[in-house]
Amino acid sequence: MSDAQAGGIGGVPPPDAAVKRPGPGAGDLKPPKKSIKKTLLLLVGVWIGGVILLYALFGSGGRNNSYQPQNEFKLDNWINAGVFSINKAVLYLFLAAIATCVSMIYVANRMQARPNKVQTAVEVLYQLMRDNITGGNLDEKMARRWFPFIGTLFLFIMFSNLVGYIPLPTNTEEKINIFGAHIPSFSLYAATANLSIPLVLALLVFGSYTFEGIRAKGPIGYLKGLIPSGVTGGMAVFIFFLEVLSNIMRLMSLSIRLFANILAGHLIILFMAGALAVILGVSALAWFTIPAGIALFAFEVGLVAALQAFIFATLTAIYLGGAVAEDH
Amino acid sequence: MHIALITILAVAEETAKAGKSIGLGVGGGLGAVGAGVGIGIIFGKAIEAITRQPEMRDEITQLQWLGFALTEACFFYGLVAGLLAAFIV
Repeated sequence: MSDAQAGGIGGVPPPDAAVKRPGPGAGDLKPPKKSIKKTLLLLVGVWIGGVILLYALFGSGGRNNSYQPQNEFKLDNWINAGVFSINKAVLYLFLAAIATCVSMIYVANRMQARPNKVQTAVEVLYQLMRDNITGGNLDEKMARRWFPFIGTLFLFIMFSNLVGYIPLPTNTEEKINIFGAHIPSFSLYAATANLSIPLVLALLVFGSYTFEGIRAKGPIGYLKGLIPSGVTGGMAVFIFFLEVLSNIMRLMSLSIRLFANILAGHLIILFMAGALAVILGVSALAWFTIPAGIALFAFEVGLVAALQAFIFATLTAIYLGGAVAEDH
Repeated sequence: MHIALITILAVAEETAKAGKSIGLGVGGGLGAVGAGVGIGIIFGKAIEAITRQPEMRDEITQLQWLGFALTEACFFYGLVAGLLAAFIV
């Protein structure tokens, strides 16, 4: 995609959308306002009534100690092959990789002068990656060289997070019985909710910015570049070790940030969408917490999935820029 | 003698359980306090900055989300430590 093309295409749709939107909205602005209020009241009524009704009907079944919530994240080997065993995380990794490649190649092969919604969305992502993530943090030469890497990281992490929010029948711990067929129950899991995958991505980033720094300044120059200019003597040695330590901490913070965000999101959705009720044995509780579960699900899908990918890619670009910068 | 030993063992087990719960509570709770304060400061300052210089809105918004995600992650460090204490250690 060339600059002119992206700019031209990006500029076409907004007026279209702007013309369309006020039409129906302005025409019937007043009637829906009342009905919205009514619908909201009705929903709240159904919610509170449901809680009372369910509690009256089922009451409390006592604590359930047989259900272990941490087993939702346990990795059972489905195909045993030593290091190359296939388990849930590997399946999600493949799903994310296939989703990234297939969707991007499909959109790239069907570029049109008048883009449809999907192409517009992908172009917005492309512009974000090119102008904000790489262009904003790297100089022009570095940005051109590292854009494919950073763009792929961004897309892969985003797709991996998003695939994780689709319920798939992958929980082999608990089976459900449908007409005699025991299929695994539906569960949420993401490749990035496992520490190994963010750690490998972080190692990749660490390796590439160290490599880029050494290529730009030479091995000794790179190590010298860790010390800020103007610091000499014993202080320089201290700062040097501090900087080396902070480089290693970057590995930890990059990987744990992504892993913990996704894991905590999955955990809280799990608890709000029923696990709490299962553990405590109060079925009314599931009905009580499900609105929070839906809200958190929307928050995770709408914001956290893309935001974490954005952060990972932006920090990669910042580290790459810092490694080649002349002055620390 | 026997009964005393059993009592001591039972108390020790209960104490370990209580310690795990406290670990999860402190990890999640104090982590949320710190991150909450941090996120509040970030959004407050971003609003302040945008009202002062509305023409810088896009740049400030990008930095704001960067800061938000970096601060929010600190909550998860605490939460993961708490979960480790409660379920794994």
